[in-house]
Amino acid sequence: MLILDSVHTYYGHIHALKGISLRVNEGEVVTLIGSNGAGKTTTLNTISGVLPARAGAIYFQDSPQGGGSSSLPGRENGIRLDRMPAHEVARLGVSQSPEGRKIFARLSVQENLALGAFARTDSDGVRDDLERVFELFPRLKERLSQPGGTLSGGEQQMLAIGRALMSSPRILLLDEPSMGLAPLLVQQIFQIIREINAQGTTILLVEQNAQAALQVADRGYVLETGNIVLSGAADSLLANPQVAEAYLGI
Amino acid sequence: MTSRPVTARAAGTDGRAALKHFTRAFGAAIVVLVVWRVTTVGLAEGYPASFWISQALNGLVLGGVYALVALGYTLVYGILFMINFAHGEVMMIGGITGYFALQFALARGWMEGPWAIVVIALLTIMVIGMAASVLIGVALERLAYRPLRQAPRLVPLISAIGASLFLQYSVLLIFGVSPHSYRKPALISGGLRLGDVFIPYTGAIIFITSILLMLALYFIIQRTKLGRAMRAVAEDRATASLMGVDVNAVIVVTFMLGSALAGAAGVMLGFHNTVVKFNSGFIPGLKAFTAAVLGGIGNIPGAMFGALILGLIEAVGPSALGIPTEYKDVIAFSLLVLILIFRPTGLFGEVLSEKKA
Repeated sequence: MLILDSVHTYYGHIHALKGISLRVNEGEVVTLIGSNGAGKTTTLNTISGVLPARAGAIYFQDSPQGGGSSSLPGRENGIRLDRMPAHEVARLGVSQSPEGRKIFARLSVQENLALGAFARTDSDGVRDDLERVFELFPRLKERLSQPGGTLSGGEQQMLAIGRALMSSPRILLLDEPSMGLAPLLVQQIFQIIREINAQGTTILLVEQNAQAALQVADRGYVLETGNIVLSGAADSLLANPQVAEAYLGI
Repeated sequence: MTSRPVTARAAGTDGRAALKHFTRAFGAAIVVLVVWRVTTVGLAEGYPASFWISQALNGLVLGGVYALVALGYTLVYGILFMINFAHGEVMMIGGITGYFALQFALARGWMEGPWAIVVIALLTIMVIGMAASVLIGVALERLAYRPLRQAPRLVPLISAIGASLFLQYSVLLIFGVSPHSYRKPALISGGLRLGDVFIPYTGAIIFITSILLMLALYFIIQRTKLGRAMRAVAEDRATASLMGVDVNAVIVVTFMLGSALAGAAGVMLGFHNTVVKFNSGFIPGLKAFTAAVLGGIGNIPGAMFGALILGLIEAVGPSALGIPTEYKDVIAFSLLVLILIFRPTGLFGEVLSEKKA
């Protein structure tokens, strides 16, 4: 569904991504783990079009499940996301819940959610998705008219994910959803990530909490200073002594 | 050796405290001076109440026009954190275009026709002036500001001043140095007399139209999808783009809205002052900027109230201080300097965030 083919990204002269290749298949939860500054957020922002990829290609295939050719690398029928402005990427159904939540602090919770559905014209679908978000996060329903900036950290995270879901995404990019949250809330958020995936949304999850991320993910990639150094099924990464030592704190 | 920076820092705080005391004393001196001047000179003149009321009403009319222009400054600042110093010229272009539209209508005798025709013609003239301003505003954004979006903050400011001069002298070159006179149709020439207070129709129309346009803007910003996108872009451009908001389109629309209000102000100021020329946007532009700073730049209700307050101060100030009316500009710009010294965030301003500062 999403393929990155040796993507290079720079911040000025700093070479932040040094040829990242990865793929996310329809229906999967894929996680990207790594320490601070490894390039996890940069990867998501390059996919979203907030940062330009200087080399390499990003393909997005929005084909119905079970299509014979779409399960192949089939780049012919993918859409190039690199060099596409961020708002167009979002409109294709690639939705990001950014690092640090980035709630619009002065806009109400309701307005934040409405912005998530900004590009949509199917008002019935938007209403259904709003119901779905309220089912996942009942707290948001109680806070509808409150400015986003007055929510607690956990509520803001829920709003960030809810807002991203309001675009009815084909793939959801989650950046550090557990950052700064109390352990109980972290558990709850990961439970919800599982639920969102079970409802049919493909997920690319960026996390520093490698343990929790690998537990919900099908597959994982380990990022180190702009390179992917390891990849594989989530359980095999969990069992990998290298990963355990570097990221699981065992 | 190690103590040196410490003493330097102590000297720094001493210096800052001294400066603070000095500015406080300076502020107190100004307040005392103004109060003394008003009580001993302004009020001692013994003007009747109707005089003050008339002055205040004039002030509100002027304030309404300033508000329309000030909103353009504040809207653009809210989204791009830059001062569009060519905004006064955007207003002037509206006024000049309105003049030619008025000439066209006068030549066809529409201004002497039945009142419905006159009203429709006047509205059309205003819309034409607004359209011309929108065109100029969008061109400014595209040519003078967008290429400099990534540049340091001072660069677009210089570009704005350049654009302001370019527009002024282009109009000078094309339309000449002599002022173009707006001829008021008979329908709006008179006024209402309430006791000793005279309210010219143009004044009343300008004030009401300004308020209606401001309400329309407020509705757009607070109640529509477009307004929501504008507020989102003002808060965080990158995140707004993640929501599928086309940031460039929102910026263009912001310039369009601000310019449309300025164009309306330009036409109305044409009818109010009866003349427009190449530089007639410059001083009102700076006044509107003052109003926006007074209310807290970037703050929409602030721009409206700041403009009304500025209009009032300008209209009542010269008589209250007992100085000639020609000095009203001195009052307005002294006010700008004083706000920047004592309350740079303006009356309704909040503390500027890192990003905006």
